[in-house]
Amino acid sequence: MTSLELRLLALGHELELPADPDLTAAVLEQLPPSGKRPFPWRRAGALAFALVAIAVATAFAVPQARTAILRFFHVGGATVVRVETLPPAVERNEAGGLGLPMSLQAAERAVGFHILLPPYKCCGPGRVYVLDDSMATVVVRSGGNHRALLSEFPSLGPPSLKKLVLGQTRVEPAHVNGREALWIEGGSHTLRYFDRELGLQERTVRVHGKVLIWLRGELTLRLEGNLTKDDALSLARSTR
Amino acid sequence: MAGLGAGGSGHQDRNPDEACGVLAAVVDRPLDETELVERARRGDLRAWETIVRTHQGIAFRTAYVLAGNAADAEEAAQDGLVKAYGALGRFRRGAPLRPWLLRIVSNEARNRRRSAARRERLSLRAAAEARPGDAVPSPEAALLSREEHERLLAAVERLSEDHRDAIACRFFLDLSEDETAAALNVRRGTVKSRLSRALERLREELEAEL
Repeated sequence: MTSLELRLLALGHELELPADPDLTAAVLEQLPPSGKRPFPWRRAGALAFALVAIAVATAFAVPQARTAILRFFHVGGATVVRVETLPPAVERNEAGGLGLPMSLQAAERAVGFHILLPPYKCCGPGRVYVLDDSMATVVVRSGGNHRALLSEFPSLGPPSLKKLVLGQTRVEPAHVNGREALWIEGGSHTLRYFDRELGLQERTVRVHGKVLIWLRGELTLRLEGNLTKDDALSLARSTR
Repeated sequence: MAGLGAGGSGHQDRNPDEACGVLAAVVDRPLDETELVERARRGDLRAWETIVRTHQGIAFRTAYVLAGNAADAEEAAQDGLVKAYGALGRFRRGAPLRPWLLRIVSNEARNRRRSAARRERLSLRAAAEARPGDAVPSPEAALLSREEHERLLAAVERLSEDHRDAIACRFFLDLSEDETAAALNVRRGTVKSRLSRALERLREELEAEL
């Protein structure tokens, strides 16, 4: 170590830092009862996750409301939040910012789950984009031949779907094969990706398409594109 | 500053009367961290409590140098330790726990980092506050040493945020390079280059003042 580095170490010992608080009780109070961890994973350690929070554009949606966050909706690992203004975000073209492209087999090894796909006429997707070994995304085509992005990631906890409010951006409940779903249409919204270590925001991107979010097994699926609701639901129901 | 990783007393804090969970197994020997993590994964809150006691001090101090004030640091450390428990299923078995915890807590701290105006500046302890066991310097030597520390601290405060954070984690908190990388959420190589540039900048500043 150089003399300057030794001086910095010595300086560290002379700093006036606040006394260390005892956080034990406060931390334990927030944990579930013994024996239950908040996010029980059947395949512990094998699955990474990506929590996708979708902030729906509602700058003009409920004018009388002045709270920063107006409403939450949850489906599996996705959370939809109504806000007054959107955070700064970059525009995203179709497959930008979705992670590394790879083969389907490599993608399934990376994410640790079977990737659900709609029927393909011949061979499967040429490539799958994998973000953080947590979320897999493929480009699919609807019955109306519109391209769309299908993203899949493990659900975080029990699904919940709360009462919805109307705004310029419509957030409607729906069902796919008997499971809860959300249809989001109108206005732009942003996507926030978080990495597997919890809470680390990777990026915020602006999305203009329509979105369907639904559950299948332990996965949350998200379809994004310029689709009609019927097209999206039909595509969602066909994924296997 | 408190000793490194000395936020709690670790194993000796366990209640020896308990006959369940972690405690039943500590009659003969303390559990090592790997065992504690495994037990916590299975929902043993006593195991997590021991881990929290062991790491909360360094977690808080790391959050403090990154968030810039004690209130945000305490909240960040607390929330980080709660989130880490929920994320234990994704913790790689056998990996060192402390960098992983610091990464989660530091992320919470950075999310709370407010405007520079709210950041509390680091300062030296009161001159009279000697630590137990310290040799007593002459008044002249104490004054010179204090002035040198103040000059060095002022130079650190003038560094860019990235460089100041790297110096604070690596030297003020005495984190390893890997732990510093985890706390700053950058690669180890980035830590090395930031430290190198920060040290160079400090040398220039200090020499210019002479």
